[in-house]
Amino acid sequence: MEQSVMEKLTILADSAKYDVACTSSGSGRRSRAGGLGSCYAPGCCHAFTADGRCVSLLKVLMTNCCSFDCAYCVNRRSNDLPRATFTPRELADLTIAFYRRNYIEGLFLSSAVLGTADYTTERMIEVLRLLREEYGFHGYIHAKAIPGTSPALIQRLGCLADRLSVNIELPSESSLHLLAPDKGRREILRPMGQIAAAAAASREELTLYRHAPAFAPAGQSTQMIVGATPETDYQILRLTEGLYHKYSLKRVFYSAYIPVAEDSRLPALDTKPPLVREHRLYQADWLLRFYQFRAEEILDQSSPYFSPYLDPKCGWAVRHLELFPVDVNRAPYEMLLRVPGIGVKSAQRIRTARRQGTLGLEELKRMGVVLKRAQYFITCRGFTGASGGRGSARRQQIARALIDPGVFNAGCEQLSLFSAPAVQQLAAQGTPPRLAGRLVQEEAVQCLANTL
Amino acid sequence: MSGQHPLREADLIYCYDGSLAGFFSCVFESFARRELPFAIWPPEEEQPSLCPVQEIPTDPGRAGRVRRGIREKLGPAAAKTAAIGFLSGQPDKELALLRYLHLGFGEGPGALKQLGRPEVAEALGLVRSVEWEAEKYRGFVRFEESGGMLGAVIHPKNHVLPLLRPFFCARLGGEDFLIYDAAHKEVLLHQAGKTRLEQVTAPLSLPEPDAAESEYQQLWKQFYETLAIAGRRNDRCRMTHCPKRFWADLTELRDQV
Repeated sequence: MEQSVMEKLTILADSAKYDVACTSSGSGRRSRAGGLGSCYAPGCCHAFTADGRCVSLLKVLMTNCCSFDCAYCVNRRSNDLPRATFTPRELADLTIAFYRRNYIEGLFLSSAVLGTADYTTERMIEVLRLLREEYGFHGYIHAKAIPGTSPALIQRLGCLADRLSVNIELPSESSLHLLAPDKGRREILRPMGQIAAAAAASREELTLYRHAPAFAPAGQSTQMIVGATPETDYQILRLTEGLYHKYSLKRVFYSAYIPVAEDSRLPALDTKPPLVREHRLYQADWLLRFYQFRAEEILDQSSPYFSPYLDPKCGWAVRHLELFPVDVNRAPYEMLLRVPGIGVKSAQRIRTARRQGTLGLEELKRMGVVLKRAQYFITCRGFTGASGGRGSARRQQIARALIDPGVFNAGCEQLSLFSAPAVQQLAAQGTPPRLAGRLVQEEAVQCLANTL
Repeated sequence: MSGQHPLREADLIYCYDGSLAGFFSCVFESFARRELPFAIWPPEEEQPSLCPVQEIPTDPGRAGRVRRGIREKLGPAAAKTAAIGFLSGQPDKELALLRYLHLGFGEGPGALKQLGRPEVAEALGLVRSVEWEAEKYRGFVRFEESGGMLGAVIHPKNHVLPLLRPFFCARLGGEDFLIYDAAHKEVLLHQAGKTRLEQVTAPLSLPEPDAAESEYQQLWKQFYETLAIAGRRNDRCRMTHCPKRFWADLTELRDQV
């Protein structure tokens, strides 16, 4: 029997939901008279799902019928799962209907490999062509480049889409070989290289000819699965840094592995997704992109994992106490960015305001600078830095301010999915979650206090 | 306008018509008399008070001089602060902006970059909250189609329609649409390529959705619910990004309120 659009949408959205990237930023395409839609460079979130993630685009697969058999993927050939395939017209119509109602910013089109990579990409191109040429759609389109697609088709796809992405899937070649035997590392990196080169060439052409066709003006992104394979945080962060430099990626996304299959090569089905780890990776990723950190400053060979209790910036500051406190009225901007608790906006406000006069604590508070952690790392007019008392009590108080309160179950009766692994372990052994959180928190405070 | 003479705190309430030109007329009055009123009230706020109330008539000429003065003497950033801050729904926004302008004209435009000064922090706080809400509504407006017209209802705290206007007019330029701000009884109407933003006297309501419209709403709800990953449920995070007060106007969350 023919499936309804409702059935197809359910199956193909469900299959696409583990893809993390849903941003619509980086493209500022103007609307045109008679056309529909525009792009909003900062990106726009239209809804937030029950797991708190932003919905910006209609994120679906073209089809979930796959000829590959990647162990970590729900859509693998050997999985018994309802299958569906959109026709290009159905998908284009749905995109327009959702867009006109302001449900979405545009389309995120990915696909399982239907037959061959080239055939799949041709069908995806047909959706994009309908949208752009027939419906005059100027909204955002993110398309996935399927590994193994021929360069000419990638070129065509890039001229219709705002952003392209190739999923690197797993952080190392050996893991890829083990879990995704149909995908080679080279097949993933080749389109990535082609996209980077084509986008650079297109930018150059645009400076010469204003109407040259733009190739993926919002750049490219990638994502990888964390926790399915044994790579360390340090390896992942180094890889990320390399991708930003070598392929000028706009974003690298991480997705905590959620067990989808019983397989001796994979973590057991009852493994909890490493959400705290994923969160720390995003924080470190932010440090690379906006805070002028290098990967080896954040982690190194001898300590290759993030602390679940400290955010990476706090971790760095605690290891470099000799550089603090800094005077907010004099410290270079780059150093302000490294103060725990001071973000990019606060640092910029401080830079603007201190040109007009020296700043004291009152001014900082009114400007919206959060002092809970920063007070131990800064001085300013009339303030020589918080000491937190004397001796061990002092160290404890500072430690308490610095550790991340979010991972200790926050006094909840129910075990939070975002609690640190140690809390989850205690709770699994029968300790009530609230107590488990408090015990681990006390231990973390003591432990950090001793190192200060 | 200069701050050579000290500003006097007056036990007086200015009352104006609620428009930006009306507010600028109050600003003119305040500078001319070198006094800071006890409060500035839009018409709906009139209430018994111990202070005498003075009607400030809206004078386009004076308002224009204030507007030019701000732009030329304090710069475009300050002009933007005044214009966007005025869209705030906070009850004492007029006085906050007046203090900000007195600081700027009294001590020069540099003073407005002292972000730690109470006058500046307060005015910029107004701007931030208006812009935050407008940014949310760029995503959260939900249109329903009825007879070829797209209609949406919102309940914002601030007057966000002027900020939504360029966004939606560019995006849906070829469509006919209206956005009704039910909290402030304002409507943004875009029809046949022309746009109007006006007050309405009687509350508007959208017609019941027809079969096709209901089907799209069902499709959207189904998509929204399918997207959530049960193993990562995080209600607090959703609430941070999408506070409950928005839910009643959101197709996908309306029936969870």
